[in-house]
Amino acid sequence: MTGKGDEQANLVRSYALSTLSVAVILIAWEGAARAKLVPDLFLPSVSAVLIALRDEIADGTLPIDLGVSLYRAFAGLLLAGVVGVAVGIAMARSALTRWFLDPLIGVAFPAPKIAFLPIFILWFGIDHMSKILLVAFSSVFPIVIATYSAAISVNRLLIWSSLSLGSSRPMIMWKVILPACYPRIVAAFRVAVPVALITAFTAEMVAGGGGMGATLMYAQRFFESPTVFAYIVTMLVVGLVFDKAMLVIRDRFPSWREFN
Amino acid sequence: MTRSITDAAIRLSPIAIVLGIWQLTASLHWVDTAFLPAPAAVGRALGQLLSGNEIRDNLLVTLFRALAGLALATVSGVWFGIGMARSWVFNAIVSPLVGATYSLPKTAIVPLLILWFGIGSTMGIIAVYLTCLLPIIVQTYHGVRATPAVLVWSAQSMGAEERKILWQILLPHALPDIFTGLRVALGFSFVVAISAEMIASTKGIGRLIFMYGESGSYDFMFAAVASVVIAAFFADRALLALSTRSLRWHESHAGANPGVAA
Repeated sequence: MTGKGDEQANLVRSYALSTLSVAVILIAWEGAARAKLVPDLFLPSVSAVLIALRDEIADGTLPIDLGVSLYRAFAGLLLAGVVGVAVGIAMARSALTRWFLDPLIGVAFPAPKIAFLPIFILWFGIDHMSKILLVAFSSVFPIVIATYSAAISVNRLLIWSSLSLGSSRPMIMWKVILPACYPRIVAAFRVAVPVALITAFTAEMVAGGGGMGATLMYAQRFFESPTVFAYIVTMLVVGLVFDKAMLVIRDRFPSWREFN
Repeated sequence: MTRSITDAAIRLSPIAIVLGIWQLTASLHWVDTAFLPAPAAVGRALGQLLSGNEIRDNLLVTLFRALAGLALATVSGVWFGIGMARSWVFNAIVSPLVGATYSLPKTAIVPLLILWFGIGSTMGIIAVYLTCLLPIIVQTYHGVRATPAVLVWSAQSMGAEERKILWQILLPHALPDIFTGLRVALGFSFVVAISAEMIASTKGIGRLIFMYGESGSYDFMFAAVASVVIAAFFADRALLALSTRSLRWHESHAGANPGVAA
């Protein structure tokens, strides 16, 4: 049996090993690039990437691109959230809505939404609107499905009690059903946020029109490898930050979760 | 039998209704058919696509890239996941990489892969492989880690060697989780294969969709999108069927449910 001290020692050792593993990769990368084992074009050194990152932040291109991409991703996500929660609740409340939407969602859910990009461009142009709507289309389904399955399984006792205490229908919706669905909706958003980001970035890579993806493709076409790496690193950090943010949001309001 | 057919008809009728309304809006010229070709026109285009070389040369290429990448990712992802769950040293070395790349929007690496491997199937397969690897690693890791130690101890006390424990205890126990990872990865594989083709390719359904869009043959563009939707739907259903079959013995099977919203 391992004691508490042993466990702590193990934790320290595994952190040390993790740090070492990352350090070895970075040093090997820098070394390989410096020693010209691979051409700069294919693998710029870590320092060159960091310099590119600093320059692009300093001259404002990267912050502007990031702002444009995040605007598209989160405008689409907001739309998907509003529509998705409303549709999910409607499906839980009405058998007719459920009957009508179930097969449509069944077909649309597994479809790779990015394939619809040319259709969205045809309908909504190449600027913000087509991208925002494609993001919404990509991320709405996990939200619908989570809201629906949460709303359908709300404890009837809660609804009956509040009815018998004289709550109105809208009040039950706002005070009982939506709060009861909240944890599953947040969990669905944790799935939807990376989907929204990847859709926004990819749509920009394919269709241009500014943003992280467009600049990344532009840099690749002109073989500006440090910029390519700098943008990929930024996207990686953005993905990590938002995933952590979703975890924080999820853990902020756990108090009544056991309740349900 | 007839009952199940009527049930299916009732279940699927909304799709027919939507197609009917869509056809009506086109036939009555409520919307410009240049922007929304009628389903009949899209159906005709789809028929022509299927009878010509277009589907064979493009959709099958895309499916090959997606499934080859997925298959490679499954094999190595399960291996990585088991390794991480079984050895803290391996876990400590690999987990920062997995953690850092897990939430990377995966298509971001496509430009890099184009730089390294050019455009074509190699680039597509590697992009799909790297994308699908992560959910499979993470799910396998969780499944193996959740194996009750008692099961492993009993097997060890009865003299089972490591290999046997792996095949008879750890892998079966992780199988439901591995299938969860696989289903996520299957979705990724289509998205990334098609995105990579839209970004840069000379073949593939992603490029075909864009080509039709650029040349203004919108009924063909819609037909190509429809073929992707249909292919992705059946791939997902096939995987679900496979997982239900493989997990027949598992207690989660009792509540298993193929419907999406149900």
